[in-house]
Amino acid sequence: MSLGHHHAWLPPGHLRPPDDLHDARSANGYSRSFSGARTPQLRASADADGLHAGTLISDADLAADDDPRIAMFRDLYKRSEAQINDLFANQKSAEEAARSAVADAEETQTKSQRADESAPPPAPAKKPARKLDDDDYDDYDDDDDDDEAPTPPKPKSLGTSHDPSGLPSPSRPSSGSVSVVIEAQKETKKETLEDIRKKLEQDKKATEEAAKRSFHTLFYTLENDRDAMLDQQRLEESERQVEAEMSGQANAGNNPNSNSNGYGSLSSANLGASSLTLKNLIARIDMKRTMVQASDAELRSLMSEVRKNRSKWASEDKIGQEELYEAAEKVLSELKAMTEHSTAFLTRVNKRDAPDYYTIIKHPMDLGTMTKKLKALQYKSKQEFVDDINLIWSNCFKYNTNPEHFLRKHALYMKKETEKLVPLIPEIVIRDRAEVEAEERRLQLAEMDGADESDDEPIMSSRGRKAPGKSSKKGAAPVRNTPSGSEPPAGQASQPPAPVRSDSDTVMEGTQNGFPTPPPGGTQTPSDPAGVGAGVQGSQGDAMEIDGLIPSNNNTLTALPASGVESEDPEYKVWKQVTKKDRAVIAAERHRLFKGDKLNSEEPALLRTKAGMRRWLRNQMQINAEGDKARESTAQGLDPGAAGETLAEGIEVDEDRVIPDYYDVMSGVPDLPPHLSWKEDSDGNIVDASEEFLRVLPSGSFTQPDSKLSRKMDANMRQMQETRKVCSKIGIVKQMQLQSQMYQNQFQKYQPEPFVEHDVPAHVMNDGGPVISPWVCKAALQRSVAKIFYHTGFEEYQPSALDAVTDIASDFFQKIGETLKSYMETPKLPATETPEPNTAPQWKRAYTEPEMVLHTLSSVGVDVESLESYIKDDVERLGTKLSTAHDRLRSLLSELLRPALADGGEDGSSAFQDGSEQFIGGDFAEDIDEDFFGFKELGLDREFGLATLSVPLHLLQNRMYNAAQAQNTSAAQAVTLFPPPPAYPRITSETLSSQIGLVQGFLGAKLKTSNSESLVEDLELPPKQRPTAARPRLPASGKIQPPAAASGLTTSPQKRPLPPSAASQQPASKLGMSEPSKKKVKKNSGASIGASESVVEGEEALPGADGTKASATTAVKPNPADEPSVDATPDLSGKRDMDTGPDGVGAESVDNAAPLTNGTVAVDAS
Amino acid sequence: MSTDRTPKYRQEIQQMMFVSGETAEPSVETTTLIEEIVRQQVVEILARSTALATRRGVRSISTDDLIFLIRHDKAKVSRLKTFLSWKDVRKNVKDSDDKGGADAADFAAADDPIAGGVVAGPQDVASKPKNKRARVGLAWDVNSFYSVQVPEREDEEDEEEEEQNYATLQRLAAADERTKHMTREEYVFWSECRQASFTYRKSKRFREWAGFGIVTESKPNDDIVDILGFLTFEIVQTLTEEALKVKEREDREKNRRGGADNGEDSKKRKRETGLFDPPEEGRTPVEPKHIREAYRKLQATPNKNIAMLLHNGRVPARMPLRLI
Repeated sequence: MSLGHHHAWLPPGHLRPPDDLHDARSANGYSRSFSGARTPQLRASADADGLHAGTLISDADLAADDDPRIAMFRDLYKRSEAQINDLFANQKSAEEAARSAVADAEETQTKSQRADESAPPPAPAKKPARKLDDDDYDDYDDDDDDDEAPTPPKPKSLGTSHDPSGLPSPSRPSSGSVSVVIEAQKETKKETLEDIRKKLEQDKKATEEAAKRSFHTLFYTLENDRDAMLDQQRLEESERQVEAEMSGQANAGNNPNSNSNGYGSLSSANLGASSLTLKNLIARIDMKRTMVQASDAELRSLMSEVRKNRSKWASEDKIGQEELYEAAEKVLSELKAMTEHSTAFLTRVNKRDAPDYYTIIKHPMDLGTMTKKLKALQYKSKQEFVDDINLIWSNCFKYNTNPEHFLRKHALYMKKETEKLVPLIPEIVIRDRAEVEAEERRLQLAEMDGADESDDEPIMSSRGRKAPGKSSKKGAAPVRNTPSGSEPPAGQASQPPAPVRSDSDTVMEGTQNGFPTPPPGGTQTPSDPAGVGAGVQGSQGDAMEIDGLIPSNNNTLTALPASGVESEDPEYKVWKQVTKKDRAVIAAERHRLFKGDKLNSEEPALLRTKAGMRRWLRNQMQINAEGDKARESTAQGLDPGAAGETLAEGIEVDEDRVIPDYYDVMSGVPDLPPHLSWKEDSDGNIVDASEEFLRVLPSGSFTQPDSKLSRKMDANMRQMQETRKVCSKIGIVKQMQLQSQMYQNQFQKYQPEPFVEHDVPAHVMNDGGPVISPWVCKAALQRSVAKIFYHTGFEEYQPSALDAVTDIASDFFQKIGETLKSYMETPKLPATETPEPNTAPQWKRAYTEPEMVLHTLSSVGVDVESLESYIKDDVERLGTKLSTAHDRLRSLLSELLRPALADGGEDGSSAFQDGSEQFIGGDFAEDIDEDFFGFKELGLDREFGLATLSVPLHLLQNRMYNAAQAQNTSAAQAVTLFPPPPAYPRITSETLSSQIGLVQGFLGAKLKTSNSESLVEDLELPPKQRPTAARPRLPASGKIQPPAAASGLTTSPQKRPLPPSAASQQPASKLGMSEPSKKKVKKNSGASIGASESVVEGEEALPGADGTKASATTAVKPNPADEPSVDATPDLSGKRDMDTGPDGVGAESVDNAAPLTNGTVAVDAS
Repeated sequence: MSTDRTPKYRQEIQQMMFVSGETAEPSVETTTLIEEIVRQQVVEILARSTALATRRGVRSISTDDLIFLIRHDKAKVSRLKTFLSWKDVRKNVKDSDDKGGADAADFAAADDPIAGGVVAGPQDVASKPKNKRARVGLAWDVNSFYSVQVPEREDEEDEEEEEQNYATLQRLAAADERTKHMTREEYVFWSECRQASFTYRKSKRFREWAGFGIVTESKPNDDIVDILGFLTFEIVQTLTEEALKVKEREDREKNRRGGADNGEDSKKRKRETGLFDPPEEGRTPVEPKHIREAYRKLQATPNKNIAMLLHNGRVPARMPLRLI
């Protein structure tokens, strides 16, 4: 398969697909040569095996009538094998000089196969047959390959797939004999055509290559993308239109597929009933079903695609149609693809656009119409087709008579193109099969050498397509879609390297049929790691376009002045042409995202693909590799390829595009910064580079820095808190003085938390500079703002207000920052007025730092004075003001408490510190954690759910206050200079005798009434309980009642004897006895309420039995009765509870009663 | 108010200007211009304080609202506070002991709003300990931080008072400078002029003039009117002083340019001429243009007010009127 062969043998009527040519690129060289070195050998052996097997099978399959053909096959095969081996030997030596297309194609395939090696080798027996049958499909179907791939000889199958292409032709010498004649005649001409084309394509390639190289050197902009897109859209539109119109004509012979009978049902579609080829394939697939990673539907579609591929134009009845039409279609699509010039000719001229068009032009024609005609199979010969094309241009010239008309330029251009392309169409006149067959038969009969061939086996010379049903052998032959199939043995003989051609041919077919979606084979091939260059092959359509365009480009360059096409940089032109389609696609992709001028949110997003990234990486590597060309070794060349393969693992189809990387922005992969890359030292340990770039954020970044000012402000705030504490105490005390009933929870104690600024937790950053964390920064600023607020006197803030102020503050600071920055960035000035010429000029900043700060401050309307006055007035002076306010409030508080404290010595209240907490809270015992009164021990607190066992403050305060008031008025004047003498001992029965005799009797009687308890001096009693204090009063009746019986105290104005309850309950306490009596005095003085009195007393007697309710009533009820003496209330209730206290614990359950008790106890007991 | 354009306070304004250092007799145009400016200011003050009161949810203006408007001028605020406290004292004195009617009258005379504008004579009345001065508390003072009223204490001298005293001394020094070269008669006249007021005993006229009832719905009480009287005096004084500066500079410029022609002008000393002296050569009264220039200067927007408009902010076409 040297190049020489390659060139010598040219398939008639077919354009050489680009695949053949791109191998000339050095970029592809390494991988290709590498694989090329290996695969041919494999193939060579495989060929041998395969063909033998194939013959075996065909033997089995076919009747004996095939024998001569088999013999011929064998014969041919041997010959070709020898040639191939020969070639490969040559090739090995000549590897670097030239790479054959076969090697190229194979290389990719073998690669993919190698990847699939896990699959078990298929039965050798079947393989060859399949090989024979399937060889066409191999190029297209990866799935097919999958089946075949596993076998090590697999490459063989590929190889054979090419080989037989040459072989089958000889197998049909008899059948093809008729056409052979024709073809033979054309042979020479074709050769020359092929030569011409070859040269054109070579030139194309060269330019294209150059252009592609230059992609790296120039930067192209997007300006023409829109045009490209629009052109492309128009082209597609016209095609679609044609398609639509054509579909209207149903399948009127459009698909005169010989295999069509096999497509009837789904199953048959899969089974391909018509040919053993498919049967075998399907059997194979079924066998390996588990390994085929494709759904049934996929398989089916693949099948049908394969079927279609070979027979789009193929017709059983029309000989020569396929060749002609394929070539014609290609020419047509190339012409259409020259969107820059062809746009105007794509569709019929609209009458609206040119009303008089149809009067001037009698026979309108356009590319769209031609496509329609083509699809409708209306062309019978090349001449008809060419005439139509020329008609378009001549119409244009005819209608647009003005030589300056732009359409003429286009038409001119197109005409030139046409002239170049037309030779590529084979000179075929389509003939009816019947006709041909008749001829054939005639010939057969005449020659008698193909007599054994059955009549019913229709052999079409053109396509190698044979009638359904019959021999697989025949099926194998027709597989060659190429005209080569029709080529006579003569051609085969003269062109030994048929395989090459076949290879190119198959690919070609892919091109032809694969315009909308390039067949897998097509994509696979270019996907080799060749790099940018390989990208050209991206899609077949694209390649075709290039094919067509490049020469045109060359042409235009020469014909520039004549055609008047806008003169452009040739490189740019090439660029435009080469990349047009891809640019159009990309632009369309982007365009879809927009609706009007807005982003269309409905559209799916553009996503980066693995394939794209892989391509990008590959290209990057390629570029890098090119950088050090010195080491242009195979390994080097392979590396990118290997990398590229591993990345995507074939997950996505690598859809290559002829677009430089910068065009496909989405696929770009950023460089890893060197410090992030994974490094290992010599021992394989990972080098930790983190230390070099990671740093811990120093603490304190988010707290107020310590400064004199901040300390002062903090002190002020603390001062405020302290003062507020005092305020709350004052408030409590004041309220307690006003209110009689208090609840412990009525006052919220002011317990401010100290201000603590929390810093952010330890934070690691990976570069220098400040922390960019808007939320944290904002929170910190917010805290500072809140602090200033507090400092200004606010106690709490609404979050929204705080937010607003924070935003304003940040805005303001941003302004300051911007201003300062602009001052800092002022262009530097020369340091000296006259810089010496030879020394480098010294530069200095336009402003010194203080200047910058001052300028900035003044531009925001602040000056140093105002800042200073802020600190002086609003911070320092505020501090002094706050402390004076604090002092005053403290003194106010102590003044409020003073009355109680001044004479507190008596009841021990002076034990507490001035203004101490306990005094306010009343929970003396709580703090020392002592159950002062044993209440806890008794379980009182739990029983009544008391929060604290503290004294009800209003009571305490009132009592103390009142007592102090009373004493202050009297005792204030009498200053005691000397300590009072010790009190007289109490008179008991023991000390009675020490008294003067006169009173002994009296005292004795007293003692007797008090059950020999010690007598209490009147002075020891509280003032109001002193008998002397209460003078006898007249009752309301106005009658002085006679003194009561001597049951009570003699001096007391008691009118009744002590109530039995009191007497019995409190026999020991004289104090206790005296109190109730006192109370009764008062009550009685009001009115005669004996009845109610008794009720009260009665209830009082009950507490032990009646529990809480009774005491509740007692606590409340007396009040109305006591109205006359206001301040009696606390006394009264206190005393009464004193009565009940010791024995009637349960009586104190009611909420307010309980504190009462406590209070009384606290005072009286002490 | 805008319908009636006849000047109503020419006399007073003249007197005030005289007190402020303008020794020549200003023209009617000048005084009219000043009067208009003052009225504009008064209206603005009333409108703003009404807005403030509305924001508080009150319909009538309180003294706090007025003081709030001038809160940045500490000296003025403290003088105003002093004035208000003395006014309070006077009222108390009047109310409490009728017997000292004459005394109270003296007291009032010595310390009425006019005097408040120039000299607060605390030492006069401080000797009467009975009449304890009530402090004028402001809503934004430290005392208002706390829920409990901070008790007053006699002994502590507020720092602000010192400051205020300092400001007072400054003013007195300025007045002294002005009167240094006066004859006795001139001084008597000058001190009479000091008592000029827009409001004193002209309350009704002032109300009409300032558009009470139009600008504010409520009827401002006497305190408000007195404060306004004080403020108007201040306004006239500030304007006059500024205008005098402008004029002086202008004269200097003139002299520099035409120094040969009237060189003697530069030697003239203002203070040496009395009001009733025939005007010296080149001794010209303040003219409306000077007043305008002074007003313009006083209305200049300080940077602080537009600091937030820096960098791509747009300065609004019209800044709010600045209170003088």
